[in-house]
Amino acid sequence: MRLLLFVLGLSFLLLFSACSNVDLIATDSKTIQEHLSNYKGEKAVLLNVWATSCAPCVEEFPMIVSLGNEIKGLEVVFVSADFDDQLGKVKSYLNEQKVTGVSFIKNENDQSFISGIHPEWSGSLPFTIFYGKISGKMLIFWEGKESESKFREAIQRAINE
Amino acid sequence: MKIILSIMTGITFLIGGELEIGSAMPLMDHQLADISGKNITLANAKGDAGTLVIFSCNTCPWVIRWEDRYVTLANTYAPKGIGMIAVNSNAARFGSEDSLEEMVEHAKNNGYNFPYAQDPGSKLATAFGATKTPHIYLFNADDKLVYLGAIDDNAKNAKKVEVPFLANAIDALLAGKPINPQATKALGCSIKFN
Repeated sequence: MRLLLFVLGLSFLLLFSACSNVDLIATDSKTIQEHLSNYKGEKAVLLNVWATSCAPCVEEFPMIVSLGNEIKGLEVVFVSADFDDQLGKVKSYLNEQKVTGVSFIKNENDQSFISGIHPEWSGSLPFTIFYGKISGKMLIFWEGKESESKFREAIQRAINE
Repeated sequence: MKIILSIMTGITFLIGGELEIGSAMPLMDHQLADISGKNITLANAKGDAGTLVIFSCNTCPWVIRWEDRYVTLANTYAPKGIGMIAVNSNAARFGSEDSLEEMVEHAKNNGYNFPYAQDPGSKLATAFGATKTPHIYLFNADDKLVYLGAIDDNAKNAKKVEVPFLANAIDALLAGKPINPQATKALGCSIKFN
């Protein structure tokens, strides 16, 4: 019986890890900025800071995931601002939303995290920034939830610049 | 001159910029619906030594982690002449989780010992340029803004706070000393405007 339970447990773990295609990295704003600089000349970047407990964040989240899947010249980078005791919840949500690749969760104090992401950000969630494909520069940013059409317009500009 | 000033103030409200240090407390007579069942204004809530305005709500996880400190701040500073009020500007949710009934319950469950009032039309939040909860504004005895931003640097754990920004600011205000820093930032839930 014990062996059966062990085998069942192991199979569940293997199945779970096989389903998890996201690499969730706990880090600071400096490392995130360094990661973003890799896309200069390759892709436009949409950076979205969100949290599982933030209602407007999870309302727009599936739309952002789908834009990332649809638009080839775009890299979507999610940064979770959840508390560090919410790691499991964040990972489950990312898996549920079928987010793949690298994703981040902040492990820095609020003040330096906010300033490190964008000096003009007040700290209100969600927060979105677009970086140009050619220039790699920050082109557009906004606080709060936005419409798909506004996202598409900003993405187009980021791809062209 | 007064007309020019009011036009300029109006423009600031329209473009939604955040109140700057030194600004006068706006909309002091805007009627807010308090959990006591009576209306209250910032003019009613103000203290002799200064006034603390906290934009807050019932459900935001950052509020929930930080609000134990609301009560401590009120206990410490109300006897020293600091008036305090928590303002709920989530007008889009006054019909649901931020209803007055829910606010009464929330205040009771968390031992609020200060007014907690709804801001009809989110007018105060707009005038202050407040974007999130919690979002803190401290005014001096002359109703001029002297500190804005965060309560401290650790929402999650009051015992692990390294810099209690707001308490330091109030202490400096009461001692007649310069406040440093005058502005800080913290994460929070966006205010749900109508």
